[in-house]
Amino acid sequence: MKKFIQSPLYIIVFLSVVFLGSCTKDAVEPDAALSYIQLASGYAAGTSTHVEVYASDSAFTGYNKLYILLKDSATGKPVDRAVVTLNPTMDMTTMSHASPKENPVSITAVNHFFPCSVSFIMPSTAGKWTLGVQIQNLENGKSGTASFTINVKAPASAKMFSFKSLADNTTTFFVGLVEPSKPIVGINDLELVVYKKQSMMLFPADSSLSVIMTPEMPTMNHGSPNNVDPVHTINGHYKGKVNFTMTGFWRLNLKLKSGSTVVDSTHYIDITF
Amino acid sequence: MKQLILTATLVHLLVLVQAQPKPTNEKRADSIPEVHLEEVKVYGLTKNTNQQLLHYYRANQAATTEDILARLPELNMIRRSSYGMEPVIRTYNSGQSGLLIDGMRIHGACTDKMDPASIYVEPQNLQSVQIQTGHGFQSGSVIGGTVNMKLAEAQFDDSRKWSGSVSSGYQSAANAWYETGKLNYSGNRLAVMTNISWRKAGNYRSGGGAVIPYSQYEKLNYGITALYKLNDNWTAKADLLLDDGWNIGYPALPMDVGYAGARIAALSWRNVSRTGKWQETEYKIYANSIRHFMDDSRRINVPMHMDMPGESRTYGGYAASKLVLNRNIQLDIKADWSSTFLKASMTMYQQGQLPMYMLTWPDNNTLQSGLGAVFSKRIDSASLFRISARADVFTKSLTTQMAKDQLSVLNNPVNNIHRLLKNIAVEYNYRFSEQLKLKTILSYSERMPTSSELYGFYLFNAFDGYDYIGNTLLKPENAWKAEANISGRSGIFQYGLTGYISRINQYIMGIYQPGLSTMTIGANGVKKHTNLPYAMIAGAEASLIVQPDHSLWFINTTRYSYGEDHQQQALPMIPPVRNTSSVRKMIGPCAVQAELELATAQNRVSNKAMERKTAAYAIAHLRLMYSGSLAGNLFSIDGGVENLFDQAYREHLDWGGIRRPGRNLYLQVTYQF
Ligand SMILES: [Cu+2]
Ligand SMILES: [Cu+2]
Repeated sequence: MKKFIQSPLYIIVFLSVVFLGSCTKDAVEPDAALSYIQLASGYAAGTSTHVEVYASDSAFTGYNKLYILLKDSATGKPVDRAVVTLNPTMDMTTMSHASPKENPVSITAVNHFFPCSVSFIMPSTAGKWTLGVQIQNLENGKSGTASFTINVKAPASAKMFSFKSLADNTTTFFVGLVEPSKPIVGINDLELVVYKKQSMMLFPADSSLSVIMTPEMPTMNHGSPNNVDPVHTINGHYKGKVNFTMTGFWRLNLKLKSGSTVVDSTHYIDITF
Repeated sequence: MKQLILTATLVHLLVLVQAQPKPTNEKRADSIPEVHLEEVKVYGLTKNTNQQLLHYYRANQAATTEDILARLPELNMIRRSSYGMEPVIRTYNSGQSGLLIDGMRIHGACTDKMDPASIYVEPQNLQSVQIQTGHGFQSGSVIGGTVNMKLAEAQFDDSRKWSGSVSSGYQSAANAWYETGKLNYSGNRLAVMTNISWRKAGNYRSGGGAVIPYSQYEKLNYGITALYKLNDNWTAKADLLLDDGWNIGYPALPMDVGYAGARIAALSWRNVSRTGKWQETEYKIYANSIRHFMDDSRRINVPMHMDMPGESRTYGGYAASKLVLNRNIQLDIKADWSSTFLKASMTMYQQGQLPMYMLTWPDNNTLQSGLGAVFSKRIDSASLFRISARADVFTKSLTTQMAKDQLSVLNNPVNNIHRLLKNIAVEYNYRFSEQLKLKTILSYSERMPTSSELYGFYLFNAFDGYDYIGNTLLKPENAWKAEANISGRSGIFQYGLTGYISRINQYIMGIYQPGLSTMTIGANGVKKHTNLPYAMIAGAEASLIVQPDHSLWFINTTRYSYGEDHQQQALPMIPPVRNTSSVRKMIGPCAVQAELELATAQNRVSNKAMERKTAAYAIAHLRLMYSGSLAGNLFSIDGGVENLFDQAYREHLDWGGIRRPGRNLYLQVTYQF
């Protein structure tokens, strides 16, 4: 009975939403259902292209998923084919450095957006973050760069940490939380990103580590059953499962290993929901 | 859905057959008072003895329903508090047996079993208790048996339009008050009865003097029931039963109840004629809703405060009838359907943090439809043969995405569970003489795992101190049971002796999971409900009633139980040998009653359940009753002393090592008009 009612109804509702959504407007604005907020916007000089940067939340220290929307400055129509390259830099008066980032993987936009990411490794209280968005508009053939100042806040609990490897005491790694972004009581996808600091300007993705993740509720001193340790998939992304048995304050304890050598076991990421 | 259609079809079938012209059978009508016809109504073994015991112990107007049930040899009471003792048949647990009110299924709303359905029936709205053990599945797929508490009905009384009673009483051990009122209206075709009872008790004083904290309670039980004669044969009945409890303490548990409420309603149509092919036909629909608010706000030194509310909603109905083919053959049929929704949650509070919320019973529904039949054939004047069969179709489902998400953490499948349960029993009765009757029953029965066993999410069990998690892969338990009873009457003696043995396959029990971390602070570990190969449960009950004349009774009941798992280790919650004696002497308008309760020690305990041993005890009660008349109406006083010698004792099925009440003086005054 339930199945009978649910499945066709779902499909109908789903289809009508999609259908109406795609008909009534040209989705130039971000989809309201996804509730992106605009972090910055401006023209990339000499490209006749307006660049808008969206995210699901205001920028924070950690792995930020960003969505770049390009519009033709004359028509206002979205530009769906472009090469987009990100250049985040932080100016700390005495020095400057970049941060880990992921350029859009495709030259074709997804629903008019170019998904990408920047992992801000410090909050703006320590300096000034500038996000350079270099574009090559493949629809009009013009290239140029737009630059934005991004205000990066420190989240209530850290979503990214760095450590010096215990193996050599020199290599610095950055570990950031990607998922769960909307935790539930139940099984959650767990996704971490790991970057290695090669120089002040270069933070390549690292696939060499193995991760042991143990969730706990520090207030109650219990964990949860049947978690799956994240393993490397692609581009420094490690995927596993984390199970929450109740809402509240959870701590994901992380132990990182390189081969059999523990390179860090002192850090954790807190999730409260 | 399928089940609904099935049940609807069955009910229709019954109605159709019913509607056919009834051939009259003058010859049969003459022979109505056949013993075997009477017996079919109650499938249990010792109906007569039981009704007598019930009648005997109800004479004490101060007795609670639990006091009365505890005297029946087939019933054991699991005690977590002075309130809400849980009646179980023999040593079968509540999941293995059924507890019905007037044929209605009522599921408690408490994950800790604080609210067995028996708490909603006060002695004044209890008409009788029907216990079915041998064919206990006639009202449901159960392996232990069924207890049905029949509700009192409005009375038709030609002589008085209005009648009623009021009663007031006090008990010293818990500084407790017990007030009741009852009013009956009898019209031409309509009779209405309404009743109310209120109890309030403080912390009771246990034997030896120690006061047991968190043993207080207050409850109000009220209801109205009406009978309407539609015509000579058909009667319609409506029941509304309400129960509210406040500030109920559970000393053996870490939590108490702030408020608990039950709303129970039923409508039924009954054919009272005893002629024709189809007799005693009854149709009933019912609904009930239980709300239960459990918290620990009154407890001190709690590491973290929490609220644990729960709710239960049941809808159901049944159609039952008796097909009398001839004076020697009859068929009893019952088709029933019910749908039960359960939900319970826990919210924990820690200063400066977001509250922690989880479902302890993830929202779930149980849909059940069953069809049962009893075929009885009298072979000759001495022997009777009977076959009972029942099939039940169950669908258990998690009703919300949140419930499914949460339960999938345990790596359990969360899709709907469909089960077909089958039960069959054969019975043979032989009457050697008026003094000696033999009854033997061999049965196979199945029972569905409970919602707690399937879906429970870290339910803390204060008995063994473990958190319990559900297992949606559980198979139904099935049991083979043999039961034999000899009974008879000889002069002033009436006696009964019952023995039973059962092997329960796929026995469901919590098994320790070393890899899982506990949820409850301070718990010993986590146990998961698991099917074990088998367990054995056996026992015997004996009763003796001696009545030399109309002014003297002597009653003695003895029970013994035995249980072991597949590793020949003791099952938990097996009471030792227990014996209850009572003697009552009527002297004019007065009666004196002395009672003695004896129990041997129970040293055979379950180590897996970390069960504690229990010492032997002997306690005595002394009761006095007076009944006279005042202004032409009946007036009675009940007084007495329970636990006369103030023994410090506990029974083996009492949780938490909490001692029972010490010397208790009580007085109850009742006026009937
Ligand atoms: Cu917790
Ligand atoms: Cu409770």
